Amino acid sequence: MSERTRKIESALALVLSTVAALVGLFWLVFILGDLIMKGASALTPSLFLHNPTPEGVEGGGLKNAFVGQGLITLFATLFGVPIGLLGGTFLAEYAGHGKVTRTISALSDIMISVPTMVVGTFIYAVMVKPLGHFSGWAGSVALAVVMVPVVLRTTENMLRLVPWTLREAAFALGAPKYKVITQVVYRGAITGIFTGVLLSIARVAGETAPLLFTSFSNNFFSTDMKGPVASLTVTIFQYAMGPYDDWHQQAWAAALVITLFILVITIVGRIFIKLRYGNK
Amino acid sequence: MNIDFDVKGLNFYYPGGHHSLKNINLQVYKHSITALIGPSGCGKTTLLRCFNRMHDLYPGNRYEGEILFEGRNILTQGVDLISLRSRIGMVFQKPTPFPMTIFDNIAYGLKLRGVKKRGLLSEKVEHALIQAALWNEVKDKLHQSAYALSGGQQQRLVIARALAVEPEAILFDEPTSALDPISTAKIEELVEELKKDVTILIVTHNLQQAARVSEWTGFLMLGELVEFEKTEQMFTSPREKLTEDYITGRFG
Repeated sequence: MSERTRKIESALALVLSTVAALVGLFWLVFILGDLIMKGASALTPSLFLHNPTPEGVEGGGLKNAFVGQGLITLFATLFGVPIGLLGGTFLAEYAGHGKVTRTISALSDIMISVPTMVVGTFIYAVMVKPLGHFSGWAGSVALAVVMVPVVLRTTENMLRLVPWTLREAAFALGAPKYKVITQVVYRGAITGIFTGVLLSIARVAGETAPLLFTSFSNNFFSTDMKGPVASLTVTIFQYAMGPYDDWHQQAWAAALVITLFILVITIVGRIFIKLRYGNK
Repeated sequence: MNIDFDVKGLNFYYPGGHHSLKNINLQVYKHSITALIGPSGCGKTTLLRCFNRMHDLYPGNRYEGEILFEGRNILTQGVDLISLRSRIGMVFQKPTPFPMTIFDNIAYGLKLRGVKKRGLLSEKVEHALIQAALWNEVKDKLHQSAYALSGGQQQRLVIARALAVEPEAILFDEPTSALDPISTAKIEELVEELKKDVTILIVTHNLQQAARVSEWTGFLMLGELVEFEKTEQMFTSPREKLTEDYITGRFG
């Protein structure tokens, strides 16, 4: 290949990749801009402090949905993250490279791409139907099911990236296996694992489909996880479909809040990692 | 001179039955430096890793024969590998600092052994770093990440980490092959200094290094110990033709 064609190809690749990046960036900025413009005006204290008013009555807020979303996501994290972490650890550290590992990894990859609606209907069949009613618990379990494969696969991959020599060095000092994993390998992979956990939280925080059939919705303030619990995403869905202007306004505001929440957990995560392992 | 390790009829098989060490017999003397040399794939690292049973980390490896350490065979089933490895340290080819601070790296082995008192830990960490000739370079940044150190410093850190638990022997697996000449010289100096306190086994690709630092040298080829001799003897008048060919650079 002549030098000339090589330079042309290089320039072409640069142009194409820059254009691709700009196209992605454009839509991102466009969506965020739209969200901020339309959502910010409805972002008032009363949105957070008041419950919804009866249909057709002006005012009110989404306190019930904020609290409900928080509860559902919190418990989903508490159920899903430990299972994912332990599962990923099992695959990377204990299971070797055999059939079992490959099967579980492949199944997790499929689970990651399964439409979350399927998860929602599944939990409906195994939890909601037998128990006879929608519940916050069912919502948390559905979100946890969505989280597990994400956390499991990132944990597995991040642990595999930790060089074997590091494990051998710890074993050579006389460390038992569980200490090698928890004290040395986890430390080496913590940044990646933590990012995986954050991503999984961010992922489920924006999910609507798994909640539609599980926690459903609730127009009243409720922290009773045994019954239906309001969530932001389902509320956005309902309000956006609804006929009232102030519903639309509130839906925009709620969407903005979710987006900001995801932004904040990402930034907080990064700051945390920097503080803890800043010198790395 | 006291014998520290007595290797008797050692055979080693990798999974699939690959016979990597064939009937090895040698003695390692207490507080001496013994070098293992030989061309790539001759089994010198495999032999070294038998001394702390590193091969047990992977399934399908098999030992035959004996390595007597203070009179007890360390290759039998019942040996407590954790306590064995705390008595026989190891330093690898590439520096392996843990992702933690310099202090925590050195303190790691001590904590494993249940040392908890802050004062005692600090004292031992300092002592180990002085022994490894690293103290002056790191005393002001003990609580910074070990990754901030240079490769040569990291290798001395790893040596300090091994020393901190006061092992009886340290196994070095080509400890300088990833380092520049100045760092290499420092490590060699250090190794010579250390034999006051510990027995040293060192695998090296570098014949000059073996000649410079060791008192005993073993030459391996194709899994067999061709010659085991006082270093001076081996490098001046080897018994075997094969040894002579190797150390004069005719192959390998």
